[in-house]
Amino acid sequence: MRRRITLPLLSVAAVGASLFVAVAPASAHGYISSPPSRQANCASGAVPNCGDIIYEPQSVEAPKGSMQCNGGGSRFAVLNDNSRNWPAASVGTSVTFNWVLTARHATSTWEYFIGGTRLASFNDGGAQPGATKSHTVSMGGFRGRQTVLARWNIADTANAFYACVDLNIGGGGSTPPPTTPPPTNPPTTPPTTPPPTQPPAGGTWQAGTAYASGNVVTYGGATYRCRQAHTALAGWEPPNVPALWERI
Amino acid sequence: MVAVLLTMLAACGASPAAPPAPAHNPTDVMFLQMSLEYVRQGELVVSPAAQGASDPRVRALAAEVRDQWRDEARTMQRWLTGWQQPPSADPDAGAHAGHGDLHSLRDADIGELAAARGAEFDRKAVSLLLGHLHNCVEVARMETAGGQYPPAKALAGQITAARQGQIRRLLTLAGPS
Repeated sequence: MRRRITLPLLSVAAVGASLFVAVAPASAHGYISSPPSRQANCASGAVPNCGDIIYEPQSVEAPKGSMQCNGGGSRFAVLNDNSRNWPAASVGTSVTFNWVLTARHATSTWEYFIGGTRLASFNDGGAQPGATKSHTVSMGGFRGRQTVLARWNIADTANAFYACVDLNIGGGGSTPPPTTPPPTNPPTTPPTTPPPTQPPAGGTWQAGTAYASGNVVTYGGATYRCRQAHTALAGWEPPNVPALWERI
Repeated sequence: MVAVLLTMLAACGASPAAPPAPAHNPTDVMFLQMSLEYVRQGELVVSPAAQGASDPRVRALAAEVRDQWRDEARTMQRWLTGWQQPPSADPDAGAHAGHGDLHSLRDADIGELAAARGAEFDRKAVSLLLGHLHNCVEVARMETAGGQYPPAKALAGQITAARQGQIRRLLTLAGPS
């Protein structure tokens, strides 16, 4: 009886969800968080009075090919306003750009420009980005205050996401850490740090224990085999994370 | 825009004798179900980060988000139960097919986080959490724009304010130190 009442309501909610995805302006995707892009400086409060972009720095989406900071769309024109006194991050001559992604679109390319010069292009060949995305880009001969335009070109739509990053190149500031190049793929080798605790064979899963691939534990009456070396932490109980534990 | 469309949808199914306005609408239900799903996914980042991050500021922020999420989730579940709605949208209903799951944290993301150590773990946790909180804000703002149940709209406003504050702090932590 209850089922009969619930299902129509649920399907209305489902229709609503589809509409939301299709028409909501905030259909969210990604931006550069570090060095801070203009939209990141708005969202962090470093630059005041930016308007709606503070709620959705990830939504600067427009047709491919624009050279404007807002992608040439009707929204977020504040990003094109060079009179805004955007803070310029002091960087070396090679800069690592870190993206925050809220939707993992299949990607054709990531492009970086200063003025009309394309500094770099990274071809993902239609792949979905991983957990995080970073690119290290040489600034070529550019020095001093410059604005880098980054474009994230989506593989299966006509659109790109735009982000402008204001930099002071070779300004003597700290260079973004080149010592930890972000891996594009998860490392397949176990960590070099020694395990804090040696897991007893066939013991109960316990937070704080370093598990190696192949270790077997019990949890909640079931048995699991570790699929990837890691240190167990609260929240990563075996039933929660199939990437880490396989039930056997 | 969403609200208008939902109103039109509701009107299509209305009988000639207009019933009294319901206490809640489909946007309220969607907000609660999607938020609960985001909390469930986000727990896989904030709980481990609250314990395992190197930077104490990352640990503190992750613990704060975790505790607020747990409070919010209790309220959300209570409302859905009261409305005889399931705690999550039917995964086969098509609501999240295609585009929707692009916004989800994937199992592989947690695998990448678990493989990272030290500053790299912190960097990944901050980046994943930033993306996830933006999605939470998006759903809360949808409720503010199109929801009907006043307490749920109030909760959405509170969530937007809290998450925006945490996003500001995360953006500071995301910068090169």
